[in-house]
Amino acid sequence: MPSGDGSTKSSTKTSTKPKYSRFTQQELPACKPILTPGLVMAAFLILGLAFIPIGLSHLSASDSVVQLIDRYDEACIPADNSNPEEANGKRISYIQDDKTDKTCTRNFTVPQKMKQPIFVYYQLDEFYQNHRRYVRSRNDQQYGSASAERKTANCDPEAEVNGNPIVPCGLIAWSLFNDTYSLSRNDVALPINKNGIAWESDKTSRFGSDVYPKNFQTRSPIGGGKLNEKIPLNQQEDLLVWMRTATLPSFRKLYGRIETDLEENEIIKVVIQNNYNTYTFSGKKKLVISTTTWIGGKNDFLGRVYVTVGGICLLIAITYIIFYLVKPRPLGDPAYLSWNKVPASN
Amino acid sequence: MPGFYAKLRLSLRKEVLGLLCVKHSPASVSGCSYHHKLLVNILQANNFVNFLGNGYTLNATEIHVGCAPIHESVLFVDCLPTTVVSDYSRESCKYMGPSYIHLCCLCYKEAWDDYNRYLSDKKANEKEVWIVRQGIRKLIQAQDIHVGNIVWLRENDEVPCDLVLLGTQILRGFVMWRLMSYGLTGYESSNIPTAALDGETDLKTRLIPSACMGIDVELLHKIKGVIECPTPDKDIRRFDSNMRLFPPFLDNDVCPLTIKNTLLQSCYLRNTEWACGVAVYTGNETKLGMSRGVPEPKLTAVDAMIDKLTGAIFVFQIVVVIVLGIAGNVWKDTEARKLWYVRYPTEGPWYELLIIPLRFELLCSIMIPISIKVSLDLVKGLYAKFIDWDDQMVDVETETRSHAANTAISEDLGQVEYILTDKTGTLTENKMIFKRCCISGRFYGNENGDALTDVQLLNAVSSGSTDVIQFLKIMAICNTVIPVRSKSGDISYKAQSQDEEALVRAAARLHMAFVNKNGNILDISFNASLVRYEVLDILEFTSDRKRMSVVVKDCQSGKIFLLSKGADEAILPHAYAGQQIRTFAEAVEQYAQLGLRTLCLAWRELDHDEYQEWASMFKEANSTLVDREWRVAEVCQRLEHDFEILGVAAIEDRLQDGVPETIETLRKAGINFWMLTGDKQNTAIQIALSCNFVSPEPKGQLLMINGKTEDEVCRSLERVLLTMRITNSEPKDVAFVVDGWALEIALKHYRKAFTELAVLSRTAICCRVTPSQKAQLVELLKSCEYRTLAIGDGGNDVRMIQQADIGVGISGREGLQAARAADYSIGKFRFLRRLILVHGRYSYNRTAFLSQYSFYKSLLICFIQIFFSFISGVSGTSLFNSVSLMAYNVFYTSVPVLISVLDKDLSERTVMQHPQILFYCQAGRLLNPSTFAGWFGRSLFHAIVVFVISIHSYAFEKSEMEEVSMVALSGCIWLQAFVVALETNSFTILQHIAIWGNLVAFYVINWIVSALPSSGMYTIMFRLCKQPSYWITMILIVAAGMGPVLALKYFRYTYRSSKINILQQAERLGGPILSLGNIEPQPRSLEKDLSPLSISQPKGRNSVYEPLLSDSPNATRRSFGPGAPFDFFQPQSRLASSYTRNCKDN
Repeated sequence: MPSGDGSTKSSTKTSTKPKYSRFTQQELPACKPILTPGLVMAAFLILGLAFIPIGLSHLSASDSVVQLIDRYDEACIPADNSNPEEANGKRISYIQDDKTDKTCTRNFTVPQKMKQPIFVYYQLDEFYQNHRRYVRSRNDQQYGSASAERKTANCDPEAEVNGNPIVPCGLIAWSLFNDTYSLSRNDVALPINKNGIAWESDKTSRFGSDVYPKNFQTRSPIGGGKLNEKIPLNQQEDLLVWMRTATLPSFRKLYGRIETDLEENEIIKVVIQNNYNTYTFSGKKKLVISTTTWIGGKNDFLGRVYVTVGGICLLIAITYIIFYLVKPRPLGDPAYLSWNKVPASN
Repeated sequence: MPGFYAKLRLSLRKEVLGLLCVKHSPASVSGCSYHHKLLVNILQANNFVNFLGNGYTLNATEIHVGCAPIHESVLFVDCLPTTVVSDYSRESCKYMGPSYIHLCCLCYKEAWDDYNRYLSDKKANEKEVWIVRQGIRKLIQAQDIHVGNIVWLRENDEVPCDLVLLGTQILRGFVMWRLMSYGLTGYESSNIPTAALDGETDLKTRLIPSACMGIDVELLHKIKGVIECPTPDKDIRRFDSNMRLFPPFLDNDVCPLTIKNTLLQSCYLRNTEWACGVAVYTGNETKLGMSRGVPEPKLTAVDAMIDKLTGAIFVFQIVVVIVLGIAGNVWKDTEARKLWYVRYPTEGPWYELLIIPLRFELLCSIMIPISIKVSLDLVKGLYAKFIDWDDQMVDVETETRSHAANTAISEDLGQVEYILTDKTGTLTENKMIFKRCCISGRFYGNENGDALTDVQLLNAVSSGSTDVIQFLKIMAICNTVIPVRSKSGDISYKAQSQDEEALVRAAARLHMAFVNKNGNILDISFNASLVRYEVLDILEFTSDRKRMSVVVKDCQSGKIFLLSKGADEAILPHAYAGQQIRTFAEAVEQYAQLGLRTLCLAWRELDHDEYQEWASMFKEANSTLVDREWRVAEVCQRLEHDFEILGVAAIEDRLQDGVPETIETLRKAGINFWMLTGDKQNTAIQIALSCNFVSPEPKGQLLMINGKTEDEVCRSLERVLLTMRITNSEPKDVAFVVDGWALEIALKHYRKAFTELAVLSRTAICCRVTPSQKAQLVELLKSCEYRTLAIGDGGNDVRMIQQADIGVGISGREGLQAARAADYSIGKFRFLRRLILVHGRYSYNRTAFLSQYSFYKSLLICFIQIFFSFISGVSGTSLFNSVSLMAYNVFYTSVPVLISVLDKDLSERTVMQHPQILFYCQAGRLLNPSTFAGWFGRSLFHAIVVFVISIHSYAFEKSEMEEVSMVALSGCIWLQAFVVALETNSFTILQHIAIWGNLVAFYVINWIVSALPSSGMYTIMFRLCKQPSYWITMILIVAAGMGPVLALKYFRYTYRSSKINILQQAERLGGPILSLGNIEPQPRSLEKDLSPLSISQPKGRNSVYEPLLSDSPNATRRSFGPGAPFDFFQPQSRLASSYTRNCKDN
């Protein structure tokens, strides 16, 4: 409702008049860059000239990484020459059979000298750790503290056994990778250090030191590995690594570290306990032994793209320079304003 | 419920024909017990009693989400998960978080407005008022006033409801009162129309009904009677009712009541110590309450386009959801069942097939940016504030600032295609000065241009020439002016009409001073002798009658006179049989050609008998309830004939400053101008010429459409159309001129042809048009899909202003009526240039960028999610966590773009110099499906860049979900910062802060979140920032994402440059801009243009190709020829027809 009377209307109008300010008048000092040929060409030239060296150094770093990759899922299963369907069924029953000894031995030669620390990874292909049913199937509250062991929301169908909570619950933990590798060089065991392979933050905060596995893998179907019920979750580093779910269906997870150098042409013997089932979904299992550099493991993608982008930038810069030289066009020529040519035509 | 009440109440009201009892106690009024009973029934049934209180608390919170598809999708996404898939509801909260926040913002705003309204309502409702109930005066709260109560008011009190005046301090006196400008605080924000409300702050006279005159103050307590009044409406100019008082006060004579006898709600009482009246309408049924409806919200072209694009995105979203949903189900059945670790149950629930599509619906729901609504609301508010703040649009004279009442339609200002303008008060100053006159064939003021200093006239006055003195008398008496004597003894005049004030002032300068008005008694002082007249009746001016008359009695001689003044065609045809009117017609012609407004003055002496007979008819007509206006006009007609024409007065109304320049600039900007005026053809053409509306002869051409019958109009229309088609290709300024009569025929019978003409013609002059015709023309142009802007200053422009896409009101001398109904009010016409070219253009550009950018960023993140679903088994996993998604939409991407509304692509000066640049806005070049496709493509490209680079550089052992999602998200943030930077034309410090500060803020916020052990992102951001490959990836994303965009933009900027680019280059490189000066609009001198009449000598009118400019005077003169009947003016039929039309329109 009107609050003042009419006579004050005009005076309020003037009294509410804001003080002159550059903001209210939209007159803030502004820098108004425009795309001049010089600016644009310089930008592309600099980009090109900077990117190519970065890319090359990245490539060389990637090249200096020595890595051994061995796919063993096919080799570590009894060969079967019957028709593929039957063969697959046999493989599955082989891998699911608890009683069979699934030890498998592989040898490979070190192609170049590998300096410690050397990292041992397992790589799974076609394994969808990012599937939405899978990726949500965990409960970090339960993992974090012993008092929250009944918090098994989202964990179905691995939440409870006969009303008792499974710790750690959920599909991710349930499907824990359980192949094991033992390496030896010249028949001397090559120790793999499995300490400190998990993220420090997972050990200190995400997983509790007072949370012990309970009712884990106690009923059928049994997924992956089992856990030692005497060791708290935050010490079970393999689990911690596994529970950092991967973005891509093809991923590597750290298995351990070799803390001695490997010389060129040395033969490494790996004894694999081939327990983990990737045969139902035709996934691949690989053992990766690799050194690292400042960019991490071997990955030449960034290097290649850098070189490519740098090259394209140079190309653009050169094209525009040619354009500029061949067909110069003055900026802001009023002759280009159509209404200046034919006044009053529009 | 309230709606139901209202309907019920109205229907009952009709039954009893608005019968209300003026009562003290139910028992005492035996005579009207029947009505009384009905009244009581109504009261009880509908809680009629305290509706003032009910009335104000009317606000149901209603949020208009402008973009319907947005709303739809929100609801869609919102409902489905909760109803069908119950365990997803928590999930849905996460996804819908941003939209909830936005909706909450809207709700909060509404709630705050509501609360303020509630407070002001409460204040109004609880105000204490003196009323008489049961014969006793008591103090009650305003909300307890009942219909029929007698309310007492003191001076300066606000009137609490609509009252019929019963008594005032002065016995036969009048109350001066003031209509407040309504709805100051609470209603501003909600666009309450003050439409038909008179925003004037003048004093208005209110009279006691004749029946109540002379009643003693004490007796007023006991007064009883019946008032019959119409059902509540919002017309504040009409109150057609009557009153019958019960004995002992008067016999059962019915006394007519008009609006003059009422005190309307929210007005203030002045100039009388007290007044009392009976409440007739209360609460929401008062005239004010009725006109407080919710107006149809205006939708800008930009909004419509955004809606369209949103709709397209919505369709796209549905398609994506369906395709991915099907793909997901197929993949699930063929592949996912083999994945033992996923443990798909063999038998799912019945809705199993729906789960994956719903997942994708959740993922894709962010595709439509909910934030766009809030962002647009915010920036539109800012645009409006910029208009309010603009120091260059302040009228220094009256200290009126420009004001944007409607904050939602600034973009439309930049897209205006047609401007329909009123003439008087809009183009001209509406400061009337009496300049010339022609009295009984003698012209005064022709030599020096000012009749007041014309020696001949002064001599004639002092020598006592009867005609001259009679002329002056009419000037002084025939009006509704109130002289107010200040303490120092000076007389000032309060008038509603500027013309009247000018005449009275002029008369006073010529020694015929109107010194006092006491009730119906007027005192005129002429050469120090006092003459006294009694005003018997006032035959009021209406725009259809075009004249007003008074019947006065000379108090000395007792003679009765009818004094009239009016437009020539309303007076001259009614001259007595023998009078030569040729000179007057010529005078009118001559004055009109000078652009002066003319008024013919006439008088007649009345017989007593004639008057008595007529007076009773007049009284009867005035007390009719149905069609009163029409009947009164008819009765007036019976008296207004056989005039003795005394002369013609010419009043000058100067053009406002800067009008020609403004019109020229805006016409260069490609805006078409139509002038709609009630004035006559010649005056209109002269004004049009002098303000660059039409170019003078060689360049411009005027085509007349006239005729009195259908055939003539049709032929004339066809000729004009033919000419128009031919000349359309030539660079010639062609305009058509049409008058109200021909316009009516054209609109009724030849609408199609006229529409074609309207489309072809860049300029039109419509003269003698009524307010509803103005609105019809606006409607016509709107129906051809043109953006129209109507500008006017008076009450007769209100309908046009409301009808148009944009209404601009000039807060001028004719009150604030137009300004209050308008979306924008400005002090002077010349500010229109700045309003359109600066504010409108910037608003359009900014909104175009903002809206498309909003789509871009939403699509970007959504495309990444879709790509991710291809590598996550089409299961609908979200790559980003919900907090990041929410922050992305609400914070990271909103802030920089909001500041981008400070962007100016060209400086104001450049735009003013090159108004043609407005074309880009008008044609919607910056926001249309093709520009949108560009942004769509850009978001797709950027999504590919971000996705491919982040998943490949973070592959293998680094492929950790949280890390990759942060890499992708920071990639998006980096890209958007550079996109905004690239699209910004001028960086102020605020923009730098917003763009780069936002980037820094992104890291700071994520570091903070990463430092919280409880968050899912614990330590992630620290880990990433320590890795060189993270920074290398960011640089790569920026370079790969922006490189091609920059290259393309540079190419278009340099080799396919738009006019905007060229002007930018010119402006910023400094050099060539100097050479652009030559096309700066050249100011035209007013003097040069004000005297072009001499050049237009009559020529034959053989062909339509003949420039009709010069032809028009001749044409008109012909019809004024001696003996030629004024057949173009058919008083009876035309009056009748326009009245019926008005009735229909009302």
